[in-house]
Amino acid sequence: MWNTVSKGAAAVEQAVKQYLPPCQEQCPINEDIQRTNVLISLLPEDPGEATAGILQIGDYLYEKNPFFAVCGYVCGLCELECNYHSKGGAIKRRLLKRFISDTYIPYLEKREEWSLVKHKENVAIVGGGPAGLMAGYDLSRRGYRVTIFEASDRLGGALWLIPRYRLPERVLESTLENLVRMLGMDVKYNVRVGQGKWTLDKLRNEGFKAVFIAQGTPTPRILTFGRDKVEGQDLSGVMYGHTFLYEVSHGNIRPNYFRGKKILVIGGGNVAFDVARTARRLGGQTSILALECEYKTSRDGIPADVEEIRGAWEEGIRIIYSRGVQRIIGEGERMKGIECPKCLQVYDDHGFHPEFDLADTMVLDGDILIITVGQGPDWTALQSEGLVDAKGRLAVDPLTLQSRNKEWVFVGGDLRKIGFMVEAMRDGLAAAESIERHLQGRDMTEGRKRLFEVQDIPLRRHYLSEPEVVWIPPEKRMHFQLFERGFSLKEAIEEARRCLACGPCISCKACLSIGLRESLNPVEVLTDRCCGCGICVSACFYSAIQLKDVEMGRISITDSFKCKSCGMCVAACPSGARALRDDPLEGILQNTYDRLS
Amino acid sequence: MGYKPKLVCFSCKFGWAYLRDMNALGEDAEFLTPVECSGRLDALHLLKAFKEGADGVLILACEEGHCHFQEGNFRTLKMLYLLRDVLEAHGIEKARVRIEFSLDPEGRKILGRIARMKESLSALGPLNRALL
Repeated sequence: MWNTVSKGAAAVEQAVKQYLPPCQEQCPINEDIQRTNVLISLLPEDPGEATAGILQIGDYLYEKNPFFAVCGYVCGLCELECNYHSKGGAIKRRLLKRFISDTYIPYLEKREEWSLVKHKENVAIVGGGPAGLMAGYDLSRRGYRVTIFEASDRLGGALWLIPRYRLPERVLESTLENLVRMLGMDVKYNVRVGQGKWTLDKLRNEGFKAVFIAQGTPTPRILTFGRDKVEGQDLSGVMYGHTFLYEVSHGNIRPNYFRGKKILVIGGGNVAFDVARTARRLGGQTSILALECEYKTSRDGIPADVEEIRGAWEEGIRIIYSRGVQRIIGEGERMKGIECPKCLQVYDDHGFHPEFDLADTMVLDGDILIITVGQGPDWTALQSEGLVDAKGRLAVDPLTLQSRNKEWVFVGGDLRKIGFMVEAMRDGLAAAESIERHLQGRDMTEGRKRLFEVQDIPLRRHYLSEPEVVWIPPEKRMHFQLFERGFSLKEAIEEARRCLACGPCISCKACLSIGLRESLNPVEVLTDRCCGCGICVSACFYSAIQLKDVEMGRISITDSFKCKSCGMCVAACPSGARALRDDPLEGILQNTYDRLS
Repeated sequence: MGYKPKLVCFSCKFGWAYLRDMNALGEDAEFLTPVECSGRLDALHLLKAFKEGADGVLILACEEGHCHFQEGNFRTLKMLYLLRDVLEAHGIEKARVRIEFSLDPEGRKILGRIARMKESLSALGPLNRALL
């Protein structure tokens, strides 16, 4: 069994310009996807022996992404851009990470506190969700003393709204608890900064030199039709998806709470589907109503993921496309139905601008209406703290996340721009970098815009098809246990082997980290031998070689950003015009020849 | 019957015995030479092995579709088609060069493959190096 080492050559450097595999470019925090895929592919098949390797991979992932265990259940952004997408299916990176997570979580709970020297300033973080915690993680490691001010009684923010059938409670709880414990961050619960006595100025007076505000989007968006608020949202039986998921995750809603009831869910996003599938698991006869149409490729297509839609459909949820809600029908204090006109168009060239055909209106009966059409930040707090501009928008620099009104305040996460969990985490990292630059009086922007180019799919003749992802059949999954089966060790190795490792070695170095290779030797062209025949061009699997006309004639050149030092061009060149600098192969072969004679 | 053929065995580090200390394979794998990819080998490397005293060369490459560098294994196979024809033209048996495609992280198959090839080399007898 190998051991990973983090010494010199094996470390992956952050370059200002580099090629990355498309998955890593797609990942907002540029997780080292290729490296960890390659390491998984090199695990032993014996589970006992593999554990040491799995934990090493987990430790490596944790360095860059302390939320990786959660990501392994809920995030698959990288898969959208995988080069394998068109050749048999994207590498199931999420499930690979989930596989590592399953072994890593029990170990994480036993990991010791990190010995960090916190000799730098006090920094306050407002909001203990992915953005705030990520900033806290990075700042703590840089030596700042971090205090997190959390409005509720637990950390995690919107992560708690993810239903348990997708993200087990232990994975989330363990990730949050151990992050705070190992990094030694101070957390103050039930403190709403921006309300009452807890103002930003108070934080400043208490010695916090910088504040990162990442309060998320706690306010559900109300239902509108045209420009008007739809009446009846205060009727009994009407609630908001956000609130509903919050109550479910707090255990405030008992099993079968909706049995015998007709549930109507409004919304076409993933959260609306979470709501509908949760309501279904609580026994409700559930319909989901989306403004958008079912064709995802259309401009007006439904935004929810295909897997969510498929899952909901399998679970017997009725999905009604292209319908809006004009009126909530009440009977006394209770809602009893909705009027839903046909939606002809959701967006026009300028943005959200729905058009309806009022002559085509259907009436749906229901006992419970759950409105899940988005959520937004708590604007009153932002306004009272003076963080908005004259037009009422958040006054913040999108690169540095620094407030334009208060230079010691930084704002990020969903609050700034609603997005995926890992996008909030990226904001956390950006804020941490900005806070350090600000406190050290350094330039806020220099060298921060990194340019990535995506490596194309390498040439090969054989592609392997993706493994089947196993879901528990719908009739057996009407509960809050996971419905998707994870990879076994054997399956994980097989899937990781499928990864084309298409990115350049310089951004991976998996082989160096375990000593499988000693060095990455750059290719050299002996120009006096090169005749520009182009055999090397076709020999290179990574399109790293080009022909170039120079004074003496045509020669081949190698793009060192793309080159993987595989030596295929060296072996293919008929005139010995290509070589790897300080090629270890020569010595290895000579050793064998010497022993022969 | 004292003839013991000398077999040089090149193995791909990404497919063969990467979980094992190869020195522990013992004397039968005396001329085992791990390389970063079988595709790094060219015909001259093999001819030199013959020249220096090898009676045969065995290449242990990755399974089809599993080359870390995409298709180094296929490149080697292609190179061998020509090399073996050239060798035969010089009166050297094709069977003195063999390639095997498999995945063997623990290196369990290596000694068996070497033994099998040595057996067929024994039947051929020593290589007449004057033919090279």
